Amino acid sequence: MPQFNQSRRRFLKHSVVAGVSTYVASLASPSFAALFEQDILSPTAQAWRPGTGMKFRLDGIAKVTGSKVFARDIRARDMPHWPDTQAHAFIIRATRCDRRYQGIDLSALEAAGLAPDRVVTAEDMARDNIQVPEYYGPAFFLPAGETPLYLGYPVALCIYHDFARFAVAKARVRAAEDVVVYGEQTPLPEKPPYGAFRYIRVGGDTPYAPDRFSALQETVLYPDFRKRHPVWPQALENGKDSQRAMYHANQLAEQLDMPPDDWLVFEAEYQTPYIDHFAMEADNANCWFDAEAGDMHLVCGSQSPAELVERMAELHSASTFASGRLFLHPTYTVGYGSKDNSIFPYYGLIAGLYGDGHPVRLANDRYEQFQATMKRHPFTIRNRLAVERETGKFQIFKQNLTANGGGRANFSNSVAFVGATAAQGIYYMPNSDLTATAEFSRMPEAGSMRGYGTIQTMAATELMVDEIADHLDMDPFELRLANVFKSGMKNTQGAIPAGHLRGEEILHRARQHEIWTQRAARKQAFEADHPEQRYGVGFACVQKDFGHGAEGVFSEVRLNADGSIEVRNTGAEMGTGYSTSQAAVVAQWLGQPANTVHTAETEWDDLAMTSSGNPYVMSQSEQEAAQTDPRWTPMLQQASSASNSSYYLSFPTIEAARVIFRHGLWPVALEYWQRGIGGGQAAPYVVREQDARWEQGKLTANGMEPLSLAFLAERAHATGRVTGAMAHAFNRWEWSRADYRIDGTSENLPLDGLAVRYGDGASQQKKARMTSKRGFELLTRSNPYFPPTQRNNAGVTYYSACATLVELAVHTGTGEVSLLNHHSFLECGNTIVEELVSGQLQGGLAMGIGHALYEDMPLYEDGPGNGTWNINRYHVPRASEVAVWEQSADILPPLSRTDPPKGIAEVVMIPVVGAIGNGIAHAIGHHFHRLPITPERIREVL
Amino acid sequence: MSTTDPIVSKPLHVTVNGIEQPVEDIPEQLMMLDYLNEYRNLTGTRFGCGIGVCRACTVIVDHEDGRSEEIRTCITGAHYFEGKSIRTVEGHATRDENGDVAKLSEVQQQFLDHFSFQCSYCAPGFVNAATVLVERLQREPVPRSQLEATISDALESHLCRCTGYVRYFRAVRAAVLATPGTTVEG
Repeated sequence: MPQFNQSRRRFLKHSVVAGVSTYVASLASPSFAALFEQDILSPTAQAWRPGTGMKFRLDGIAKVTGSKVFARDIRARDMPHWPDTQAHAFIIRATRCDRRYQGIDLSALEAAGLAPDRVVTAEDMARDNIQVPEYYGPAFFLPAGETPLYLGYPVALCIYHDFARFAVAKARVRAAEDVVVYGEQTPLPEKPPYGAFRYIRVGGDTPYAPDRFSALQETVLYPDFRKRHPVWPQALENGKDSQRAMYHANQLAEQLDMPPDDWLVFEAEYQTPYIDHFAMEADNANCWFDAEAGDMHLVCGSQSPAELVERMAELHSASTFASGRLFLHPTYTVGYGSKDNSIFPYYGLIAGLYGDGHPVRLANDRYEQFQATMKRHPFTIRNRLAVERETGKFQIFKQNLTANGGGRANFSNSVAFVGATAAQGIYYMPNSDLTATAEFSRMPEAGSMRGYGTIQTMAATELMVDEIADHLDMDPFELRLANVFKSGMKNTQGAIPAGHLRGEEILHRARQHEIWTQRAARKQAFEADHPEQRYGVGFACVQKDFGHGAEGVFSEVRLNADGSIEVRNTGAEMGTGYSTSQAAVVAQWLGQPANTVHTAETEWDDLAMTSSGNPYVMSQSEQEAAQTDPRWTPMLQQASSASNSSYYLSFPTIEAARVIFRHGLWPVALEYWQRGIGGGQAAPYVVREQDARWEQGKLTANGMEPLSLAFLAERAHATGRVTGAMAHAFNRWEWSRADYRIDGTSENLPLDGLAVRYGDGASQQKKARMTSKRGFELLTRSNPYFPPTQRNNAGVTYYSACATLVELAVHTGTGEVSLLNHHSFLECGNTIVEELVSGQLQGGLAMGIGHALYEDMPLYEDGPGNGTWNINRYHVPRASEVAVWEQSADILPPLSRTDPPKGIAEVVMIPVVGAIGNGIAHAIGHHFHRLPITPERIREVL
Repeated sequence: MSTTDPIVSKPLHVTVNGIEQPVEDIPEQLMMLDYLNEYRNLTGTRFGCGIGVCRACTVIVDHEDGRSEEIRTCITGAHYFEGKSIRTVEGHATRDENGDVAKLSEVQQQFLDHFSFQCSYCAPGFVNAATVLVERLQREPVPRSQLEATISDALESHLCRCTGYVRYFRAVRAAVLATPGTTVEG
């Protein structure tokens, strides 16, 4: 075993959690070549094209040459200080929920000389006091004598010290039916719902008038449960907010039950599919427990490394294993949500604890991945929508949805709530009553997945709108335009969304597109040429939130004396090009992209920030008391999910770069331009900071001599100006703010934590203040403003819009649907790297096509929990099924160069679902309510 | 469960990316993917499905007559490759004396320029499939009008979950068109 040279490591201590010191490996550490982010990322200079941006992804060369990028690629031998004796592990799972689990029988393995070197079960967990983090619910392993709560519940972990025996044993266990031993029959498991929510809104006389009642103004309803059924408050017109809510709900229900003659009340139930992420890197972790030192080392990909560090330290500390330090090595990965707060890495940690000194690799094969990892929540959605026949104006929208969360809680409440608050799509709903319930079932757990409840509800809304248009004999665009949500209107929670909403603009653009204008002629021609097929055109448009509702983000930007730029940030690279876009966003203020980028950083001790309470549910008084501590924030770090990278995770990076510009570069530029007799070249002109522009990598303003970043950086350093900034930002549907005194100047910034670093030539007085670990001066904020806690009830304020037109053909004999062409419209503010945005759009469309036409599984005994599912029976769309050569898109130009970049990773996959359903209705005259629309379901109709 | 079939190993002779690999005893049951990943630490060839459907595990087998073909290593035993020469994704680029990438292959460069992949887990399979296609078209050019269909046929079986294939396909078209002799008029 190679000697581990402590001095060679440059781990950064994260914090002490429950007595365990936690560290995140500096990915720049020379001792971690295998995880060496700078080996993965190409030099920015090669990729940057002044004026137009990035020529290629910074991680592109590493990725296209098969370098070690993923945790899946890492073996013990790649870790310089680890023993190179790589052990391997797999999990045995129970696949029946109708019988008591008795134990496992490995006698056949033992007879074949394939006995595991270590078997880990619930008994080990109990003896060694290894407790599952509360967030995840039931225990890691099912104890003998109990009935599994869900299909695929882990019962044992088998560890092998060599690969060959591991591989053969794993294959045999897969083929065997007698390894898991069951006993007597028991009732199927039942539990109360995970939670329920109800959003009621009664609008004022106009969309812009004050609401009569709304969640933002008054309250969201959270019911009690009796015998697994929600119990809502008593309805009282002048009672408490919750009682008034029910009064309004009853009033709305009465109107829907006894509508005026000129109303159409449309009712339908929609069912959505049970979908696997099919992230191609299946879950895996490689862990080494150094028992002698009490050190746990863990390599894995995660969208939420901060959560891992904290919960793992707590788990380890509470166990009987010696615990001193936890080293986490986050890697680039891919997930679409599946690696956000996943329980899987904890099984990796357990494998490491029982590895007898060997690093243990736990890596799902695809069957295990289908069996065990989070899925998209299947929804049942009951919609009622009242429409005034004459005008097509929507009057009352009532929705009652249930989200099947499976057997282990994971974001199910959140998914249900987000789904409900997105259900209105691009439409203004004057009155609404939205109920969302997240339910337990014996299905393998559902959790975070791209679309996060909104693809379920918004696709249903778009299917519903076209069907209503048919009922009213209205053009579907006319119906949409009659109800489209306009800037300044209020959403179903009573909140006014951020900025200008462009759904109406997209509707007008789409209506003029040739796919729509020529649909009648094309249908006639196509069906004449293909008498066995029916041609259809469908359209759908949505606007989707981005962000979690509570975002905490750290970022650091440093400008070196040679003009090179370094960025550190909390976001994880999930394949979306995050590392590339983080490099690019600083160019707005610094004229060129960052030379180095470090992602998934969790150590931010310099800012000394603390947090307490739950940002989503804390009271206003609790927040006001806490914010008197100038280091307090409602949330330290959020995961990389909910389409939050381009806007939220970039936000403090951009702000930090702005601080360097305003307090470092601009002053020295001005000094240079003003030097000489009579005020120099600046004097004849009026030179203002707002005229500053970076052109071809050089700074100019109102005709001043262009200056390179290297020139300015050298002077900023020489004069001891601000050359580095570390920032924390918090957002609760708006940003927190505070005043800061920066190098003698006061400024109000949308940040709740800030530290700055001065150049090499700073005075001794300034240098004496640069006392933080990384050599920053920690500033103390004043006059802090935090978004009121009531704003949690807004549900959503940030939206981006997307629409898709599809041309398709339905074979009347087979029921198969062929996608002939599609065109999308996307509104995303200013793009950071346009190629990454359009790539997200194209990928999202493919995933949406799968949702609409192909992807689904049985929920229970015949479903993935039984361990027999793989992509031979789960259909992921192929190139021929996405109109790969024909498809096209328009990315709307921003309103101006000052538009923020908007999160679009999820919205892009949604409209194509509704568009396909509506296209099929156009083709064969039937509006489907259940997805996917399979050939079998079409044949039933035909 | 069978109680027989102990692990039987035998020597494997294989050339990977032009280098004869050290001969060692390899279990007969072992798939080529496991050999590359676990014994050679060449992890660019990736496990996707384990049943030969997704093609992330594709490598190129180079035959002595100059032909090449794609082989799925997750369903093909390591010993099938006895005496054979293969190319993996790690072997396409030209590297300098330090092992650093000096020049990408045409296919790799086009994938890079087109932002073809996101997570890149599938990229090794696409690199190998597209390379086999370009080399085949050099031997057997197709009319330009049939190029898109030819690319579709060649890459249809490769799965990508991130990018919807569009940028891969456009990049392969660019790679073919940048390679002399791959298409003819028509």
